[in-house]
Amino acid sequence: MSGEIRVRGVTKIFEGPHGDVQALAPIDLTIAEGQFLCIVGPSGCGKTTLLRIIAGLAAPTEGEVDFSIEHDGKPLRSVVFQEQGIFPWMSVLQNTAFGLKVRGIGRAERERTARAYLDMLGLTQFADAYPRQLSGGMRQRVNIARAFANDPAILLMDEPLASLDEQTKLLVQEDLLRLWEGSHKTVVYITHSLDEAIVLGDRVIVMTNRPGSIKSIVDIDLPRPRNVLDMHSNENFFNIRSRIWTALREEVLTLRQREISSDVA
Amino acid sequence: MTSLKPKKAMTAQQRDRIMVVVSPLVVLIIWEFCSRMNIVDRRILAPPTVIAATIVQLIQTGGLLTTAGITLSRFFAGFFVGLIPGTLIGLAMGVSPWTRSIVAPLVAAFYPLPRIALFPIILILVGLNETSNVILISLGPFFTMIITTMAAVLNVEPIYKEVASSFGARPRDLYFDVMFPAALPVIMGGVKLSVGLALLNTVAVEFLVADNGIGHLIWNSWTTLSISQSVAGLVTAGIIGSTLFAIAGAIEKRVIPWAPESR
Repeated sequence: MSGEIRVRGVTKIFEGPHGDVQALAPIDLTIAEGQFLCIVGPSGCGKTTLLRIIAGLAAPTEGEVDFSIEHDGKPLRSVVFQEQGIFPWMSVLQNTAFGLKVRGIGRAERERTARAYLDMLGLTQFADAYPRQLSGGMRQRVNIARAFANDPAILLMDEPLASLDEQTKLLVQEDLLRLWEGSHKTVVYITHSLDEAIVLGDRVIVMTNRPGSIKSIVDIDLPRPRNVLDMHSNENFFNIRSRIWTALREEVLTLRQREISSDVA
Repeated sequence: MTSLKPKKAMTAQQRDRIMVVVSPLVVLIIWEFCSRMNIVDRRILAPPTVIAATIVQLIQTGGLLTTAGITLSRFFAGFFVGLIPGTLIGLAMGVSPWTRSIVAPLVAAFYPLPRIALFPIILILVGLNETSNVILISLGPFFTMIITTMAAVLNVEPIYKEVASSFGARPRDLYFDVMFPAALPVIMGGVKLSVGLALLNTVAVEFLVADNGIGHLIWNSWTTLSISQSVAGLVTAGIIGSTLFAIAGAIEKRVIPWAPESR
């Protein structure tokens, strides 16, 4: 348990038709193995770009990401995408077993593993259903089950619950925490919801406006296991929330100022 | 899974099922009425009951079923001769930018030509025989499948590819488990279009050169002024067409069981 993800001097510049856009200023960040890290920031601040670079789906313009996390034979990282990331042509079971299938694990074994995760997320009876037959919350559970079933050392999640209503969101958060708390997995979780970041994370990173850099790092010293449904009445929760909001507030206001002036121009 | 289907989809389905019968029936009744009242000249457009009698008579003594069989086998030969290579070329173009840039100009040059205008050239190249008929019939499905399959592959949601690559999918997994199923709904749309195009050209070819088949029956009856026989042939062609469409629709449902209910 001494490994880490080290993001070293990572920048990203997108070349566009109207000139280059710097999405990420140099970012240095160390994520300890087993940590649940949440990243919040104003829209367009490059948090998704950072996640994609850590996921290996995009290359940084400069800098690099090092992993010193043991994952003997298992995959290093899996990504939980937003709702549309579920394959509509596969049953819930096939979706959940996809990562295992790609890794060449036999049908019986991968279906057993997939079913175990579907069980834990209350999806057993939908194993043979197609995603279109599920609610948004259930679809996101499938997404989470698919990533966990693949059993990676690192889970990367890009606003996975953004499209869910508030109540459903709480329930899925609770399921997610329950799965994660027994797993020792390292998580990088992007969200635009402060509450979600605090409820889930060990540590919250606030990013600045574009080009995104790290504005502040807040440790969430709330005890685990956490009860998502009761968290919002915890006094500590509010203290932490206002600390993070102070940092984020500035950035949100700057963003608004920028948008107004670019509208005028 | 029936219990999960919303109730509204059921009534829409019922409506479709009823209209399959009611809608043509109403047209037939109006036709019968107009023809019997001589609102349209019944020597030109005989009432449906007379046509039906003609069809029965043609089946019993005129070998209509054999004629229809000839048309069907011609149709299927041309359909598959065009469909299979067209789909494969379309897949290759969707997947490989190189193939796309090489083949696209050729497709762009040939696709907009009226297919029937190519028939003389085909006849010169292949000769006046069944092969040239099949080739002409195949052109519709061929080009349609190239274009729709390519578009289907190119328009696969990028997120599906990202999910696949984030799980470390090899090209084989990517193409068979992700790209092909993701493209399948649009490809099946092309298959349905191809059915119509192939049938159209089957009848056209039979008008032009064949001495058998439904197209020949329609044209030949017309030239001998047996109008009700000609219309009987037309109706048979219609029945064949709608049956083929129904089969294509059933196959579509079968291979894309995950598609949303009729929108």
